[in-house]
Amino acid sequence: MRRYAAPLLFLLPATILIVLFFLIPVVTTVFLSLTDISTVTFKNPSWVGLQNYRDLLVDPFIPKIFYNTGRYVGLTLLFNVGMGLVLALLTSLIPERHGDNFRTLWLVPRIMPPVVYVFVWQGLLARAPFGIISDLTGINQGWINSSPWTTIILANGFVGASFGMLIFTSAIRAIPRDLFYAAAVDGASTWQTVRRVVLPLLRWPILFVTVYQTLSLLTSFEYILLLTDGGPGLFKTTVWSLHAYKLALSNYFGNIEFGLGAAMATFLVVIGVIVSLVYMRVFNFRELVSEPKIEVN
Amino acid sequence: MTGVTVRLEGLVKHFGRVQALKGIDLTLTPGELVAFLGPSGCGKTTTLLLIAGIYKATAGQIFFDDRRIDHLHPRDRDIGMVFQSYALYPHLTMFENIAFPLRLQRVPKAEVKRKVEQTAELLGISEQLLRRPALVSGGQQQRAALARALVKEPRVLLLDEPLSNLDALIRLSARAEIRRLQKELGITSILVTHDQSEALAMADRVAVFSVGEVEQFATPEELYKAPATTFVAGFVGFPPMNLFEGRFNGAFEAKGLKIPLSPGHPGGKGYLGIRPEDIRFDGEIAARVLLVEVLGKDSLLTLEAAGHILKAMSLEGMQVAIGDELLLNFPVEKLHLFDAEGKRIQRQAS
Amino acid sequence: MPLLPQRWRLLLVLLLVIGLPIATGLIWLLLTALFDRVHGLIPQGDFGSENWRFLWQGSVSGRPSIWVALLNSVMFAGAVAVIEVLVSAMAAYAISRMRFPLRSMYLRFALMLHAFPAISLIIAIFYILRILGLFDTLIGVILVKASLELPLGIWLMKGFFDHLSWEMEMAALVDGASRWTLFWRIALPLVRPGILALGTFALLSAWGEFILPFTLIVSGKSWTLALYLQSFMGESFIDFGLMAGVGLFYVLPVVLFFLLGQRYLLNIYSGGAKG
Repeated sequence: MRRYAAPLLFLLPATILIVLFFLIPVVTTVFLSLTDISTVTFKNPSWVGLQNYRDLLVDPFIPKIFYNTGRYVGLTLLFNVGMGLVLALLTSLIPERHGDNFRTLWLVPRIMPPVVYVFVWQGLLARAPFGIISDLTGINQGWINSSPWTTIILANGFVGASFGMLIFTSAIRAIPRDLFYAAAVDGASTWQTVRRVVLPLLRWPILFVTVYQTLSLLTSFEYILLLTDGGPGLFKTTVWSLHAYKLALSNYFGNIEFGLGAAMATFLVVIGVIVSLVYMRVFNFRELVSEPKIEVN
Repeated sequence: MTGVTVRLEGLVKHFGRVQALKGIDLTLTPGELVAFLGPSGCGKTTTLLLIAGIYKATAGQIFFDDRRIDHLHPRDRDIGMVFQSYALYPHLTMFENIAFPLRLQRVPKAEVKRKVEQTAELLGISEQLLRRPALVSGGQQQRAALARALVKEPRVLLLDEPLSNLDALIRLSARAEIRRLQKELGITSILVTHDQSEALAMADRVAVFSVGEVEQFATPEELYKAPATTFVAGFVGFPPMNLFEGRFNGAFEAKGLKIPLSPGHPGGKGYLGIRPEDIRFDGEIAARVLLVEVLGKDSLLTLEAAGHILKAMSLEGMQVAIGDELLLNFPVEKLHLFDAEGKRIQRQAS
Repeated sequence: MPLLPQRWRLLLVLLLVIGLPIATGLIWLLLTALFDRVHGLIPQGDFGSENWRFLWQGSVSGRPSIWVALLNSVMFAGAVAVIEVLVSAMAAYAISRMRFPLRSMYLRFALMLHAFPAISLIIAIFYILRILGLFDTLIGVILVKASLELPLGIWLMKGFFDHLSWEMEMAALVDGASRWTLFWRIALPLVRPGILALGTFALLSAWGEFILPFTLIVSGKSWTLALYLQSFMGESFIDFGLMAGVGLFYVLPVVLFFLLGQRYLLNIYSGGAKG
């Protein structure tokens, strides 16, 4: 054991934190979902088996939330990947310096604190005199309330597009220059080069970005919470993860239904675990593990 | 600083399923410089890293004097080492690089300064001490690496291809300098190299490695005069020894060649070797000149005799052209005989 | 791409158009914060300080002072960055450079967590912090935030350690270093670009973090700037000027980090940060 004292020491802090905030929470989520834990029973929950799941099945709002989730993930994904691709292509087709500037501009929404970012959207979409859209269209209204879905998708999209943009840009940069020269010599136009050379080579990055973002969109609710809080009206823009969060943790309802929220979160956790496992399988793992060349610790 | 005896006993090393060392037994006498010579992948660097303690041996023991050290951490072995890439720490100045081993021993500051400056002086890099390694020449980096290895006054000095990244001119002077320092300090040293001229020029004794084994451990002169195996015969000496495969049958017969031997040799299959510089041109073995390479005073001839390709050195003043026919003589006293396993057959009489 | 299309200026214009909303938003924030009154993007009032009253007014409608929130944000972001970088670097060093059983398993596991959407665990994390007695404390949120980004950090740092020279590590061992000394004095200084990249990323990410403190902190005395700004959002009368002031105040350090760390950051955002 003394032989491995050093690696053990190096790995100890990370291991403790990962166990505490990844492993135990996964188990805890499932465990809580099988109890009736709530504000009332927080200290003393009792085992209810699959009751929470049965409750979810018969909940009249669940189909609506399910539909909302699909809509939110699908449309935002489309925007993110599509815009990411457009941005990557456009910024690669103009001189490097300009391209870098535009990519930096698109990183701004990602780097801005979400609360400030959402506040800016609220401002732009507010009634006059602050709201610009009200000014431009001449329809003076609270635009977030009148088109909540568009707002949510755009707000998420402007943050999400930069992820695809950066991945696709580095994929484009990795294409050997000779391919472009060859295409040019063969008489291909820019558009033909993009379609016949670049896009086929971006197949895997596109798949990667799509899978990755599907997973994070399914589970993220930060911007919706801040923009519409799931409204306006009953569950108008409530998605699965937000509903789970609010059931379990929001202070606005009187009784917090921790167990029920955990049951909804369990679905997300299970999906997350499955996708992560697939990700791990697909990933080219071999080349990442080479044997250390030092045998003493 | 006085050197120690370094003794390797039955060193075996496996990397997974690959057997890198099959059993190394060597004893180095105090203050001696021994070269580990061999082609790449022969296990010479592996042996060095086992002595340094970077690798753990699968089996076998290592002793410094009579103390067994193979279970010790590298820091407790009291060795200095110079690496092929020099392995200087790029974020530290040359001074701090050399001082690093002393700092780890918590040597007092003034003492560190004194020792580093003294060692730097010895190696002629006093002017470069405040620079980062990336800003000095390769030769100076190499000296800094040597200084770092020597500053803690180690009992054993390990040199892993220390000169192979230097250009040819500096390499020659660096050879002489390392040799001089090593002699002066009297540290038992091991030099790993694939360059036979380096090994032969610098070492008191040379261990020739083939695949995971020591073929011969001897002085440079012995290696040249009496190679223990065909491997050593073919590896040491430039141009390499000519080797013929055939049978001993009173004389040596190899398809189309018959070379007379002195009496008293056993029969059977084996090898016959002769160095290019030992071939004379007053015999009866017919050969044709295929190629003439002028080396300066002499020329290296590539010859064909009865379907065998061999090399010979021309004699001074000899005029040879491609296509010429020569009559070769292999003097009996210059022949090297090896048995079917490639082991040297001791000459009965010469 | 190596070949510029002839009419690339057209593409430039196109990029300008689709990037317009971002630029507009930034300008809107700046103007709304700096002028007493604006109409859209047109300043109406004076270049005034009315919007900045939160800086000296002690408390705005019962909220804790902005300086408390600022201090909390600084401590939060700073502590998260330090913990994240150190813990990731230590684990990554072991995974990249040391031999131990199950090393490859550990590596696989970290990779898997990297893809896992950690936010789905927030309900359980809330529960666990309650049990640990760390609920409603800054230290609790710090640990959670740093932990959730560990898989990313370990992966990033491992990549940097992988490129160190083995001979240099061997030299350090022969020179008398233990692996621990070697890590601190040789390996860590040499992966400085990695530390800067991860550090900047962690600072920015923690500085902006909203959901975790929102969920795990209740008391005003532990509020971060994110919570401070968000507390204005639910009000029936929204004071855009004041909020823009707070927002600008809150976003300024981000600009600073970003400009300082930009060249290190691009790698991380494309290397698989949660998007």
